[in-house]
Amino acid sequence: MLELIDLSRRFGDVVALDSVSFSVAEGEIVGFVGPNGAGKTTAMRIALGVLEQDRGEVRWRGKPVDQSVRRRFGYMPEERGLYPKMRVLDQLVYLARLHGLARSDAASEALRMLDVLGVAGRARDRTDALSLGNQQRVQLAAALVHRPEVLVLDEPFSGLDPGGVDVLSGVLRERAEAGVPAVFSSHQLDLVERLCESVVLINKGRIVAAGRIADLRSRDHRRLVRVEILGAAPGWYATLPGARVLDRFPDGAMLELSDSLRERDVLDAARAAGDVRHFSVVQPSLSEIFREAVRA
Amino acid sequence: MRVESDRGAYRLVARREFVERARDRSFLISTAITIVVLVGFIVGTSLLNRGTRFDLGVVGVDARATAEQVVDAGKALGFEVTVRDYPNEQPAEAEVRSGSADAVLVGGSEVIVKSQPPEQLLAAIQAVSIRERARQSLERSGLPPDRIDDALNVKPLPVRALEPIDERRRQSSVVAFIGVLALYGQLFAYGFWVASGVVEEKASRVVEVLLATIRPSQLLRGKILGIGSLGLCQLVVIGAAGLGASGAVGTLRFPAGALSAIGIVLVWFVLGFFFYATLFAVAGSIVPRQEDLQATMTPLSILIIASFFIGIGAVQDPSSTLASVASYLPFSAPLVMPTRILLGDIAPWQALLSATISIGATFALIPVATRVYSRAILRTGRVRIREVLRVEG
Repeated sequence: MLELIDLSRRFGDVVALDSVSFSVAEGEIVGFVGPNGAGKTTAMRIALGVLEQDRGEVRWRGKPVDQSVRRRFGYMPEERGLYPKMRVLDQLVYLARLHGLARSDAASEALRMLDVLGVAGRARDRTDALSLGNQQRVQLAAALVHRPEVLVLDEPFSGLDPGGVDVLSGVLRERAEAGVPAVFSSHQLDLVERLCESVVLINKGRIVAAGRIADLRSRDHRRLVRVEILGAAPGWYATLPGARVLDRFPDGAMLELSDSLRERDVLDAARAAGDVRHFSVVQPSLSEIFREAVRA
Repeated sequence: MRVESDRGAYRLVARREFVERARDRSFLISTAITIVVLVGFIVGTSLLNRGTRFDLGVVGVDARATAEQVVDAGKALGFEVTVRDYPNEQPAEAEVRSGSADAVLVGGSEVIVKSQPPEQLLAAIQAVSIRERARQSLERSGLPPDRIDDALNVKPLPVRALEPIDERRRQSSVVAFIGVLALYGQLFAYGFWVASGVVEEKASRVVEVLLATIRPSQLLRGKILGIGSLGLCQLVVIGAAGLGASGAVGTLRFPAGALSAIGIVLVWFVLGFFFYATLFAVAGSIVPRQEDLQATMTPLSILIIASFFIGIGAVQDPSSTLASVASYLPFSAPLVMPTRILLGDIAPWQALLSATISIGATFALIPVATRVYSRAILRTGRVRIREVLRVEG
């Protein structure tokens, strides 16, 4: 188990992390979610020893993590970084060697990773000759090339095309099945929901919610209604007392109903406003849970 | 899969620095240009300084006999004479006119030149010819041959130079000058490489990937070792090319001296490089982009350039007060001490003392530099040295 215990960190007067604790079990994929500036990157950098914490500690398999343990971690920083002039394969072999792989293992693992990520054809090219999307794939290969025991990925999906998202999702699942704990940050909550069983929600340096997504959803007792109306005047729901708008989309909205408001009242109001194309009572999704947690 | 210990991580870093840079086309081209220029310079100067040679044409047997003696006289006076026979005056004259012969000796009676007579050659011909004609008239007067020889074999006057040229010292000066030049170029170029290499990692953010694996001190040590080894190898190759070229054209009168000079330059490159590279790494770590590097490198550039001029001055006057002091200061010693050693100006213990000061200064510098580097390397924006030195933790 990877444990972040009571991590705190300040930058000058700014509290970046305030007693942050969570853990990732072996074989578990945890989504690390929070608005920009919430402290995700700070926490991940501390976990990798790139940044020092003011307080708290990071443990892996019950022992405090040091440099020699971290070499077996796989890390993808938020700010991507590769040697621009170095050839792709040389770069991966070099990084694999820094992570402690013998030369022959490093070469075969680098080639294998490039193949898995679909950039094997660019192995001999200079890194800066690749498109940003392909550089992103090489960056992933760099985080995975040494078959890490633990994966810490900061925004690994940002910048990937749908094909890349599928490949990375596959790799993450495969690594998790092999027993590797993985934590990744993302703003793509639907993706997190699809890929992770558990999430950690962070806001302003504090954990605001954590646990299995299913548990978080079942704990959320709000009644939500999704309505789509063709040709309704904007703000048609203003006449409904006790309806709060959570989200707006073309020709529709997500409404949270207060205790006094019944679903049928909403439907009546919707029919009065126009041609109802969609009406459903929904369970709060991760997005709604996230919004609620961040709003509080 | 076996995980190797991280003790040798700096060696991997050093290896990457060495291999990636050595493979770089611009590095290979600039090394080749340096070697071509150096070899060209050596071969060129030797051609310019090559002993004078003359082509002397002869017509007739008498002339041939005189010409043989001119060849011998030329050898004694330090020039070379090639003799060619012509059947009669006409082709010989044509050769002189075209410039392929410097002069033609016709029988025992006449010397033909184009316009301006080649003085050295003419002086030799005249001397030989006068002696020859003197011998003939003495023979005609009936003097016995041994008396004639006595009369004619007069030793030339001895010459006493008030300021004799010390050939060995002259060669040492030339070698020292080239050595200072090479050290200056090498310290500057490779120091700059350390600084820009640090900035490259910082600006491309690859440093975060690296520091998740190895410690900043390992990265710094590896970088300096790798780049320094490449600089040393390049110096060895250039030195060997220079030595080889000089040997081939025979410019070097004291090859052992040149060899030890190269050794001294290599040793002082190592001493100077570690000192400066440590500082250049700091200069690189506190700026965010290559464009900002110039500003933090300026103080170092001034130090190197000033030391270079002191080093050049020391070639002329190795025992000046300035050169004496500068040869013990760690920043200037690498550019001044080699000259003083080469010109035999100092005792071995003095050279050792200076080297010890350099090594000591570098060792004192490393922890401070590592500290600044470690703290500054992950920060964005311009970093103040005082700030990173002060902050604890």
